Amino acid sequence: MPNFAIFGGSEEALTKMRGGFVVDVSHPCNQALPRWVSTGLFQQIDTSRLSNWGNVIPEIIDLPGNAADGGNVWMAPFDWGQTSVTYRTDLFEVEGEESWDMLWDKRYAGKLGSLASGADAWWCGAIKAGVDFDDIASDEAFEKIAAVMREQRPLIRVYTDDTTTLEQALSSGELTAAMTWNSSAVLLQSEGIPVKFAKPKEGALTWVCGVVIHKDAPNVDRAYDVIDSLLSVQTGEFMIGEWGYGHSNIKAFDKFDEATLQGLGLSKRPFEILEAGHFQQPQTQEWETRMNETFEQIKAGF
Amino acid sequence: MTETSVQTSAAEPAAKPVSRLERLLYRSEALRGYLLMSPTLLIMTIGIIVPFLILVTMSLWTRDGFSFDATLTIANYLRVWNEPIFGALLRRSFWISGVATVATVVLCYPMAYYVAFHVHRNKMMWIILMTLPFWTSYLLRVFAWKVILGYEGVINSGLQGLGMIEEPLSFLLYSKSAVIITLAHAWAAFAILPLYVSLEKIDKSLLEAATDLGDGPVARFWRITFPLSMPGIIAASFLIFIPTTGDYITPALLGGPDGAMIGNFIQLQFGAVNNWPMGATLSIVLMLWIAAIALVFLFITRQAERRVS
Amino acid sequence: MSDGTYIRRPNRPLQIYAVIFLIVLYVPVLFIPMFSFNDSIYVRFPLQGFTLQWYGELWTREPVWNALWNSVKVGLVVSVISTVLGVVAARAITRYRIPGKGTMVTFIMMPLVIPGIIFGVALLVLLSRMGVPLSLYTVGLGHLIICLPFGVATLLPRFEGFDPSMEEASADLGENGWWTFWRVTFPMVFPGVVASLLLTFTISFDEFIMAFFLTGTDPTLPMYIWGQLRFPQEFPSVLALSALILFVSFFLVFVAQRLGRAGLDNGNT
Repeated sequence: MPNFAIFGGSEEALTKMRGGFVVDVSHPCNQALPRWVSTGLFQQIDTSRLSNWGNVIPEIIDLPGNAADGGNVWMAPFDWGQTSVTYRTDLFEVEGEESWDMLWDKRYAGKLGSLASGADAWWCGAIKAGVDFDDIASDEAFEKIAAVMREQRPLIRVYTDDTTTLEQALSSGELTAAMTWNSSAVLLQSEGIPVKFAKPKEGALTWVCGVVIHKDAPNVDRAYDVIDSLLSVQTGEFMIGEWGYGHSNIKAFDKFDEATLQGLGLSKRPFEILEAGHFQQPQTQEWETRMNETFEQIKAGF
Repeated sequence: MTETSVQTSAAEPAAKPVSRLERLLYRSEALRGYLLMSPTLLIMTIGIIVPFLILVTMSLWTRDGFSFDATLTIANYLRVWNEPIFGALLRRSFWISGVATVATVVLCYPMAYYVAFHVHRNKMMWIILMTLPFWTSYLLRVFAWKVILGYEGVINSGLQGLGMIEEPLSFLLYSKSAVIITLAHAWAAFAILPLYVSLEKIDKSLLEAATDLGDGPVARFWRITFPLSMPGIIAASFLIFIPTTGDYITPALLGGPDGAMIGNFIQLQFGAVNNWPMGATLSIVLMLWIAAIALVFLFITRQAERRVS
Repeated sequence: MSDGTYIRRPNRPLQIYAVIFLIVLYVPVLFIPMFSFNDSIYVRFPLQGFTLQWYGELWTREPVWNALWNSVKVGLVVSVISTVLGVVAARAITRYRIPGKGTMVTFIMMPLVIPGIIFGVALLVLLSRMGVPLSLYTVGLGHLIICLPFGVATLLPRFEGFDPSMEEASADLGENGWWTFWRVTFPMVFPGVVASLLLTFTISFDEFIMAFFLTGTDPTLPMYIWGQLRFPQEFPSVLALSALILFVSFFLVFVAQRLGRAGLDNGNT
């Protein structure tokens, strides 16, 4: 059984690793990848050692900053999905189309929830504020996004990265809508709770995450074994069926028909989904720090 | 749990060595004493002084991307002074901890009083009964309060069951009061024990004397019992107030957006925000404020004690 | 027993208060065993029915046991070291005339009046500057610093309370220092030693604030529980384990209580 260390967010994990925390593998997302690689804390992944590599969907390998020397990669993509609004169809009255405005709806003040990490929330704020992700680093964008986040703050009952809390609150009616990943909606639906994972008219936030190997990983062989099994069809079927996340192995989708996949907001051609939404883009460390600092202050009420 | 005899037995007998021989003995005794103390002192030095020197140094650095700019500057302190958020968070932390401390001491006092004065058999049993709950995980106790105060929690279900409310009360969870209630419960043992010890120590004949002099129960309590239990009250207040100001678990789980405390922000500086120098600065500022508050508190209680006696 | 008669009189309101107090004290704690028997992965009302499933699953959850074992290891080492050092320091403080003693005692007691988060952060900064990797050792170092003052504080009254002439008598009888310590001093302070071991073990075993900053890949039990709070699948086993710990500590405390009383009775006759 592997040991896990779970962090509030991937930034926290990276900070801890910068402080000398050594693990075999960790799990960043595409947006953080170039920054993670530039810390020099990770080793290239020799894809020839992964038996499932041939079935990995090429478009999600080819991410900015992922290519290493001689066909090696830094991150083996594993899961992909969306951040959007999960809402109670019986308690939340949608006006017009589904939209990010739902999480800014004053009628439901105190009954809205949000993910706590800026890696999701800030980007969703950018979509709401109409900021193009290409310009997300500009001062103007910062001000615009900060303004919408401040506007939202008094409406939010809880900011948390603990998805169980959000799911339970949605299931009890404590929250009528919350920012979540795919899995929350799928889980709640499987329990018979009337929820929907919105397809906001502005587009959802989309991302790809994967696995990286620490440069001093004590068990490199085990790390490869873990990655290979994460990329396997069995894992993929589980990820899709039980959690509603996209998987990186194309064969994992064979068990599911197109309608099921569509219901989950997935597709065998991930880029259709990723491009249709707002695909996160890598940012500098300076940006990341500034964003987190600003967002934390907003959450605290300033 | 704690019989904080933090008194330092400061009034040492002033040893006045008479002869050279005695002086040598005295010296060697001190030397032996130092030798015995040295492992403890060494560990405390490694564990307190060295880290604190580095913490102070780092608080004078600034963040530079992922590493540090080691030029010494008070920029971080100026930020803490100038940006309203830090002052507000500090005030909120002290308010929450302060209210929790007062609530805990006030609620535990009658309990400790009861055991000290009205329980005559199986006193130990009562003390064990009062401290046993604190053998369970702090985290799970905090979590349990989330279940009690929650939207479908015990209180809301109960009130709804009784037909007293239509909709669950949402202010119970994710609020300052949730943090205060949980802290008061979680730290109760740290109030009960010092209070009990100080009450138990009170010489009962003093109470009888007061009765003989015609004092009623109330006057007797305020003239004798309460002033004499002051050391317990002070110890309990310190033991609760100080650690709770730095807590970040309870606010993180139960505080909601309005319940965040300074501890949450310190933790963030070492986590997501990744500004260690700022985190160091906030830690130092927190410590200085605690020291200041503790001194003022001690001064006031000393004055009060003097006036009473 | 020279209690005044008025004290003997039972105080009804106070009695009722005491009962309510104990109920409020225990209810949140009793939730843990209660939900460990609940047939649902979610900790929420209404209860879903009785099950022993989580206790069964607990045996297969290796990470839970690893975390428990890590906490036990750290707790044992920390409690033994802080108690041994506490004995030595308390003896030095009470038996020797040392200049600057007051300052040193204040210094040792400092962790009692500084929030744990500050120690956690300060040690993290130190260790990372020195390039020391985080591990159970670093957690242990952190715990040692907060446990030492508790050890010394528990032991000091014991040493203060006993008559040094006992030791002197032993020395006069020709016993050497080592023998005197084992035959005279140690039995006298033994209850303090036990109290210190128990107290410091408990503190270390449940410590989270510092462990959060100082833990490496091997989690202590509180760190593990923290990680599992957001994963409902694993959480019931955590509740089951905590309930077991609760039962065992209740049991131990009551046994200790019985033995203690039996010992006292024998001593009195």
